[in-house]
Amino acid sequence: MSRVAVTGGRNPLARRVVQLLRESPGVEWVRGVEARASGKQRSDGELDVVSYVPDHRPFAAYLEKEGIDTLVQCDLAPDRTGRAVTGRDADVIGTMCLGAAIGHGDSPVRSWVLASSSAVYPIGSRQSLIRSEAEELSIEAGTLAASIAEAEDYARDVALRQPHVNVAILRLQQLAGEQLRGSLASLLARELVPSPIGFDPLIQLLHGDDAASALAFAVRNELAGIYNVASAGWVHWHDAVLATGHTAFPVLPLSAALLEPVLDRLPIPVPLAPAELLDLLRFGHAIDTGKLERTGWESRRDQLDCLAALRSDAS
Amino acid sequence: MASEVETRPQLDRWGRDPSVITSLGIVEAAYRSWFRVEWDGLEHLPSEGGALLVSNHAGMMPLDGALIQIGIQEHARRPVYMLAHHGFFLFPFLGRVLNRSGTVVAHPDNAHRLLREDGRLVLVFPEGDKGPVKPRSERYRLQRFGRGGFVETAMRAGVPIVPIALMGTEDTTPTLGVINLIGQPYPISLNTLLFGPILGALAHFPAKVRARVLPPVHFDEEPELPSYPRSVLMDRAETIRGDLQSALDEMYAARESVWFG
Repeated sequence: MSRVAVTGGRNPLARRVVQLLRESPGVEWVRGVEARASGKQRSDGELDVVSYVPDHRPFAAYLEKEGIDTLVQCDLAPDRTGRAVTGRDADVIGTMCLGAAIGHGDSPVRSWVLASSSAVYPIGSRQSLIRSEAEELSIEAGTLAASIAEAEDYARDVALRQPHVNVAILRLQQLAGEQLRGSLASLLARELVPSPIGFDPLIQLLHGDDAASALAFAVRNELAGIYNVASAGWVHWHDAVLATGHTAFPVLPLSAALLEPVLDRLPIPVPLAPAELLDLLRFGHAIDTGKLERTGWESRRDQLDCLAALRSDAS
Repeated sequence: MASEVETRPQLDRWGRDPSVITSLGIVEAAYRSWFRVEWDGLEHLPSEGGALLVSNHAGMMPLDGALIQIGIQEHARRPVYMLAHHGFFLFPFLGRVLNRSGTVVAHPDNAHRLLREDGRLVLVFPEGDKGPVKPRSERYRLQRFGRGGFVETAMRAGVPIVPIALMGTEDTTPTLGVINLIGQPYPISLNTLLFGPILGALAHFPAKVRARVLPPVHFDEEPELPSYPRSVLMDRAETIRGDLQSALDEMYAARESVWFG
């Protein structure tokens, strides 16, 4: 029977994972954990608040005290937590500290599952359309992808140095679904959807139910290695907009990165594509989920399920 | 709710729309009436499964590729996916039109998925960007076939290579010289001089085009290996280039007129 802690405990994805694991027969105990840089350790019934940045030792003590053998990290990539966030780096330091806590003294942790992000794959005209876990990544320094790759490297280092710990890295595709929207889903949820003129790329979404089920599956089956996660199928951009019942608003395929801080403060929403999504909206991107499916995991949602949840009339 | 959503089911994941090639009336009209394309050796095309088609290349626009796509679709009833330089896909509308016609960014992973997972016919021009900048005096003289990457792609996918010799296409935009444009060689053709840079890239002279499909080249090597010996790849690439060159020489010698074949 497993004892599981899920970090990022307040975010929508982590809450779903906790809920799902609570219903799993092989799981004896599961708690959401929220980190705070300062403050005392406390518990409010559903959620434990334990500091692990910058000092990992209180968290190591927590792991030992509660006998936690499985750690699920749901706060690595801000855009893959169910909240619409663009342009935020992955939590490299948090990941490093969690790795240190796992390696600390007589840590009981035997399994570490990271909810990472498919944003680790660079997107561009020179890249392949469908990405697999096996490919060697060539990542530009200082980018979001670079910070995700750095965090994944820390996790891989734990796997190398502590072979008794199973480390699974799940690269989650753009999140969508009821009460769980990533940056791309938030764009599609607008009444006027910014669409770069002259492009109609392939996109792919991950329903929140599938994201939570994949993470829970990784816990139950003690997966190790890197796995892509997306809901079934793919969709082209203009079909996706059509499926939400919204209107594609043609915009120039140019980055407005420098103007975004100003535009964000305007009282009306400006239909511009966020700079972080511009390459995706020009060249497209999908991930191959075959490796995870070969372990027995199956997506229960498809792209139209993801998009249906973004319709204006959806609850 | 999902069932209420209407999408375009005819689009595959590569963005190809089977109706596009035939609905591009001007391209099909050019195929029939302008270039009057004739085929032989079509029996060498596999009726199912993946195969990598390789051919000689000329012209800034991949018109030769479109002619092969139309011809094989018409005669063998199989779609052909063409691999093209990533630069085409930077431009709004152009990349979209190319996708709809079955053109995909030339990347080894894209080729592998098309050949091995989807079992498609995939067309590539191994001369790469050296083909379009060949001077007129070098037409139908095949340039180096890169580093043999196309052979590696076929071996890894476990599919044969089918060479296709095209006669006539290298006379449709005769290259007179090459200039350096932002670090890239850019061919100046007779068409460019007569019609300007944009129309000149699209307007082609009505040379008679003949296409000959050569017997497929199969490989004994195990597919899906991480790498293959460079010497083997180069040997096979040179053999294929030699066979294709011989076919072009034969077709060139047999041709009586550029315009009438």
